[in-house]
Amino acid sequence: MSRFFFFCRSALGGISTRVVEAYTGEYASGKSEVAINRALDLAQEGRQVTLVDLDIVEPCYTLRPLKKMLSSKGLAVLAWETREVGGLGETGNVLRAENRWALKRPGDIILDVGYGVEGAKTLNLLEGAKTDPDLRVLLVLNITRPMTGSVEDILAYIRQMGRVDGIINNTHLGDETSVEIIQQGARVVTEAARRSGIPVVATTAVRELAALIGPEDCLGNPVRAIDRYMPGAFW
Amino acid sequence: MSKDKPLEGEKRVFMTGNEVVAWAALAADADIMFGYPITPQNEIMHYWTRLAPKFGRDFLQTEDELSAGFTTLGGVLAGRKSFTATAGPGNTLMQEPMSMAEAMRLPMVAIITQRGGPSTGTVIYSQQEVTMTTLGGNGEGLRIVYSTATHQELFDYTIKAFNTAWKYRFPTFVLGDGYQSKMRESLTMYDPAERGIKIIPPEPYFGKPGVPGVDRPPSQLRNTYNMEEELYEVVEHYLRDYSKMAPEVAEYHAYYVDDAKLVVVAHGVVARAALMAVRELREEGYKVGYFRPVTLRPLPEKELREVAARTPKFLVAESANGQLARLLKEGAYGCTTEMLPLFRPGMGITPEEIITEVKKILG
Repeated sequence: MSRFFFFCRSALGGISTRVVEAYTGEYASGKSEVAINRALDLAQEGRQVTLVDLDIVEPCYTLRPLKKMLSSKGLAVLAWETREVGGLGETGNVLRAENRWALKRPGDIILDVGYGVEGAKTLNLLEGAKTDPDLRVLLVLNITRPMTGSVEDILAYIRQMGRVDGIINNTHLGDETSVEIIQQGARVVTEAARRSGIPVVATTAVRELAALIGPEDCLGNPVRAIDRYMPGAFW
Repeated sequence: MSKDKPLEGEKRVFMTGNEVVAWAALAADADIMFGYPITPQNEIMHYWTRLAPKFGRDFLQTEDELSAGFTTLGGVLAGRKSFTATAGPGNTLMQEPMSMAEAMRLPMVAIITQRGGPSTGTVIYSQQEVTMTTLGGNGEGLRIVYSTATHQELFDYTIKAFNTAWKYRFPTFVLGDGYQSKMRESLTMYDPAERGIKIIPPEPYFGKPGVPGVDRPPSQLRNTYNMEEELYEVVEHYLRDYSKMAPEVAEYHAYYVDDAKLVVVAHGVVARAALMAVRELREEGYKVGYFRPVTLRPLPEKELREVAARTPKFLVAESANGQLARLLKEGAYGCTTEMLPLFRPGMGITPEEIITEVKKILG
């Protein structure tokens, strides 16, 4: 019940109808994929959604190549464009002014906060990040990533992360993902969540596997069906 | 993750290429990494520095790549399995220590994640560091270079690189690229011992037992000589060792080459696209083959020449302006096969582009 309440408070609680979520997590844990899917799901419901690329370490590898496609699906996407920057990479990246003020925009805000523990500190640069009543910081976990492969590893990771309000089980093995590996992820992640006192918000699964799992995973966490967009961000 | 052993048994995992390298170096019992940050190599350092303290390994960040290269050699001289990783302009700076490793037969291991050039170029991707990694530095290119194509190979060949280096005492390179560094892909990580891979232990170059000159030859390590003849004698000796080693180390993959009218030749990540293209073309009835040198130095010369001798045309696909093609032309000198280019310096090459090019050539 508490999990349900947590998940739906913004939508149903009458306090606010804004959804404001920041997706953080270990490098390559699937933050961008989960954030994109969340933003598109909300847009599908007819909501006004802004998706914000907050990776200032490696903007060359994140949402930038997908910006046009995502915009065409009705999202407002705040991310650099190639022609706007001189030398993506170690030449020094700055936070776009528009991104810094993202939390002041109307509608739902989905923040994709790149690059692990260090990247998560980018959130501190956002105006209103400390006071926004609707902001939820969600940690994306994939247990096939060796650094977050066990309950102990996850607990150690959470200790480094700073603020975490909810956890997403995004366990997968790319094209080799099976229902079993997702459920195994659910077991490990839920145990880590129980021991850290942070709720599990959802388990994600690509659409075909989500259909096989059903609306809840083996531990009762809601299942979010996702489509894979990030492979298109490479080549 | 165990506190004593980085890997136990086998585990299917989902990782970026840079992380794979850090884990493989742990599995190969590497003692210390020396490095200086550069994209797209950075996460090799990031993950090594996160993992090393858990398993009693060390790391030193130096002031630049020149220093990172030389400190890696210092680690080797002290009998520690030492490695470094760099890319692009960092690779350029490291040529002097790499050349010294050739001169003193020091088994340094370096992971190169190619980025676009010349100069700072892009941080993203290329295959433009082939010439520099195989033949850079003054001297004769007495190096071993493995060009990987998948995350599984990054794991396998990083482990192998340490063994090859310490067995033959030539500097050894794992030549990756920015795409492989950042790509996410599954692979199996394993404890080499459980697969029957014997990890060759390092040994110090100095302070060996016995009296130097009496019980054993003295450890005299030089990279400078007085006269031409002295140096000539040493280099000739090294070249003989290298020629003897070459057939033991050279590796390649060849498919569908027996009846091929055209063979697509590629290395590294482009070889993936090449193999996909060749398989699709075969299904359509085209007589095409696939040849991939895994070692770019030494080149699998015998096998290359065999394929070149019976194939009318090679299509050389690479993300550089003919750096692989130059090696192939030298290796297959005298063969009459025509070498056609599909050169895209600093750009990825897709299977579709290769298919289109092959169809244009074969009609």
